[in-house]
Amino acid sequence: MEYAVETFSLTKVFSDWWGRTKVYAVDNLNLQVRQNEVYGLLGPNGSGKTTTLKMLLGLLHPTRGKALLLGGDGADPKINSRIGFLPEESYLYRYLNARETLDFYGRLFGLPARVRTMRIEALLDMVGLKAVANRAVGTFSKGMARRIGLAQALINDPDLLILDEPTTGLDPIGTRQIKDLVLRLAERGKTILLCSHLLADVEDVCDRIAILYGGKIQTEGQVRELLQQTNKKQITTDAISDSTVEKIKQLVEAESAECVVTSPMDKLESFFIRTVAAAQEQAQPTSGAVSTTKIGEFLSGAEPMESILDKLVSAPVSQEAASEQKPVTEKVLTARDSQAESDAALLSKLTGSAEPPMPEPVVKDEKAPAEPLEQRQVRENILDELTGRPTPPETDTQNTGKTQAGDSGDA
Amino acid sequence: MRRIWAVATNTIRQALRMRVACVFVILLFVLLPALGITTTGDETLKGRLQTFVSYGLSLTSFLLCLLTLIVSVYSVTSDIDQRQIYTVVTKPIRRFQFLLGKLLGVVVLDVLLLVLFSVIIYAITVYTPRYRDFPESELTEAHNEFLTARAALAVPEVDVTQEVRARYEELRKQDSLPAGYTPEQAIAELTKQAQLAKRAAGVGNVLVWEFDNVRPLAKSMFIRFKYDVFPNPPDSQVYGRWIAGDYQFIKTGQQPKTPIYDQIHKHAARTFHEVEFPSEVVPEHGRLGIAFMNVPLNSSTVIFPPDGLEVLYKADSFGANFLRAVLLILFRLIFLACLGVLASSFLSFPVAILFCLVLFLTASFSGFVIESFDYLSANVGAVYSYTFKWAIRLLPQFDEYNPTDFMVPARLLEWSILAKCAFVMVCMKAFVLLLLGLFIFRYREIARITV
Repeated sequence: MEYAVETFSLTKVFSDWWGRTKVYAVDNLNLQVRQNEVYGLLGPNGSGKTTTLKMLLGLLHPTRGKALLLGGDGADPKINSRIGFLPEESYLYRYLNARETLDFYGRLFGLPARVRTMRIEALLDMVGLKAVANRAVGTFSKGMARRIGLAQALINDPDLLILDEPTTGLDPIGTRQIKDLVLRLAERGKTILLCSHLLADVEDVCDRIAILYGGKIQTEGQVRELLQQTNKKQITTDAISDSTVEKIKQLVEAESAECVVTSPMDKLESFFIRTVAAAQEQAQPTSGAVSTTKIGEFLSGAEPMESILDKLVSAPVSQEAASEQKPVTEKVLTARDSQAESDAALLSKLTGSAEPPMPEPVVKDEKAPAEPLEQRQVRENILDELTGRPTPPETDTQNTGKTQAGDSGDA
Repeated sequence: MRRIWAVATNTIRQALRMRVACVFVILLFVLLPALGITTTGDETLKGRLQTFVSYGLSLTSFLLCLLTLIVSVYSVTSDIDQRQIYTVVTKPIRRFQFLLGKLLGVVVLDVLLLVLFSVIIYAITVYTPRYRDFPESELTEAHNEFLTARAALAVPEVDVTQEVRARYEELRKQDSLPAGYTPEQAIAELTKQAQLAKRAAGVGNVLVWEFDNVRPLAKSMFIRFKYDVFPNPPDSQVYGRWIAGDYQFIKTGQQPKTPIYDQIHKHAARTFHEVEFPSEVVPEHGRLGIAFMNVPLNSSTVIFPPDGLEVLYKADSFGANFLRAVLLILFRLIFLACLGVLASSFLSFPVAILFCLVLFLTASFSGFVIESFDYLSANVGAVYSYTFKWAIRLLPQFDEYNPTDFMVPARLLEWSILAKCAFVMVCMKAFVLLLLGLFIFRYREIARITV
């Protein structure tokens, strides 16, 4: 099985009541998603992205053509048990609470009760909804519903994850977390088919993309190849003196090439995260009880996610691989490495994870007290189990060492 | 199975938390005790109990029927409409398992509610005689004629063909056959007259019924009867002398070994009455005779309608009979749940509800509907008898298996009737509907078309 998702001239025609063709929603689509690849399906509204996904999953019948998921039919329970699907909106049973929702989906997979409980707790932790786990999901904001929708898609530890507009309704911090999660899942060997029209998301996480219009693939390829301007070079440096800049200019002009010197622009996303972090740091000494506000509630949930995600990355990756894969979100544009690192630091600071000089976070009262080491380790193992990753003992000890270091720094 | 059960529990949660079921539950919780207090019937204890059980069971049955339809239709259509089904059917569950889960959820909910409310009705019925001082006679009457389950002895059919043939020949010989009649019509007319003569007693005349192979089945037995009188006396009441005992004695006057029941009662015409007699009058050889004499105190002819007389005896307890009546309601609910699932497999909520309600009402009055169509079909002919007639007969006949028809006259609801109802209504008709629903749901497109 070469491809995780493969379609053969997949076509969906919507007809009117008399059977006359109205719209070609999807037109002769030949899609090939390789194993362990993050694939982005892009396109304007009504370009056939969601229709394609629905045909893959058997929710719509193709007019012509065929679709294979993991080498089988998308409506076959055997295949379904290896797929996670997040529809374009999180369609949830409003009367169930978060924990019951996940339990229901877990039972649909026939998971035994013990496994279910473990996974549900881990997932609630991961998507940051532990604090509201007993609230009916009908009362959730769109972002929270999105998070529970994502948790629902992960409960069976899928090999193939199909995400339809995963970041709609999420604030920038949530978006960032989802993007990081996608990359980390990809590292763990999952195939992810992502469908979005938010270009920034796709650009940051996808290996390959296809742009759909009118139900047809207009262009397809590696993100890096499609976007790299091979006829230009960019050099980023620390702030250097004007005289040095002049020297460089002269060197460049000697090659009779043009040279433009500017200060690089910050990404709005990074700027936003920094601003929120700064605001929090200021507010923190004045009052410790703002935690009932939305931000506090949200962050209290987000904290465990970061720590778990940190371990998800650090645990499996060997030392040399780690140095290679450190920047997560900025995979494509290596020029922004340093910025990405500072982003990551800020994000984890903001969400109150293990960075040392941080004072007590705002959300103190809602957050669980710093857990003892053993418990963290256990939780990590749960996640390893959840994602089906074998944990060799030496990696484990190494990782434990790291955690210890982080914790002692915290203390 | 685990997956089906997951869907089922979710359906029950939905019904309870979306407050669909709660409305009905509260309504019944209020109405049943209120009925228990306010019903008086004909002011006797028996009448009061009859009215309460009849209204209580009918109300429970009706409301639970509506609830079943609404919950089964709502839980499937809302999942499709609000698209939760996208995340459900993309999990490793087959579509038929999804529908079966919904069905199971509704049926479990029905069973729970039915148990709850039948216990309430039963408790009120059994405790009503104790909470106030009723006269001894009313208590006995209620115990003998309501808080029991009685079977009926079959009334033997009277064969009049010989008699009619002889009479016809006689008339033909005399050449006094009515003019303008074909021989068939004349015989039919004569048969009617002869049968009427067997059921009519002029003043001073005696009518005799004969029952074979009767075993004394309980301490007392009952003659349940209704008659018409002509001309109508001012108070619509006539005297009758009722004799029960050895058939030989009634026929020939030969003195029997067993005692004879012989009493004169005065009863109003055109309603059912009961006369109790001890079962020791039944002779050993089992030929029981019942005689009615139109005593000369009257001046009217007494006519029994064709189903005007039965002999009843206690065959089972009230509780057991009540349980079977409740099961009858359960079968009805299972059928409706299947109907709801079928309708919602291809219709949207409002249309599906309308469809189900129409079928439910038709099924409730199916006897009337079938009769009237049969009557009209004389003119409609072939089209009707090959299409519509079958469609109607496919529906269950709720009125044929109406629990109150058994409970009010304390009639034994036999297990065989129950089994027949289960077989016809659940195993055949409901099953066909369910299969159809599963089939449609299997092949339909779940997602809505959005471009």
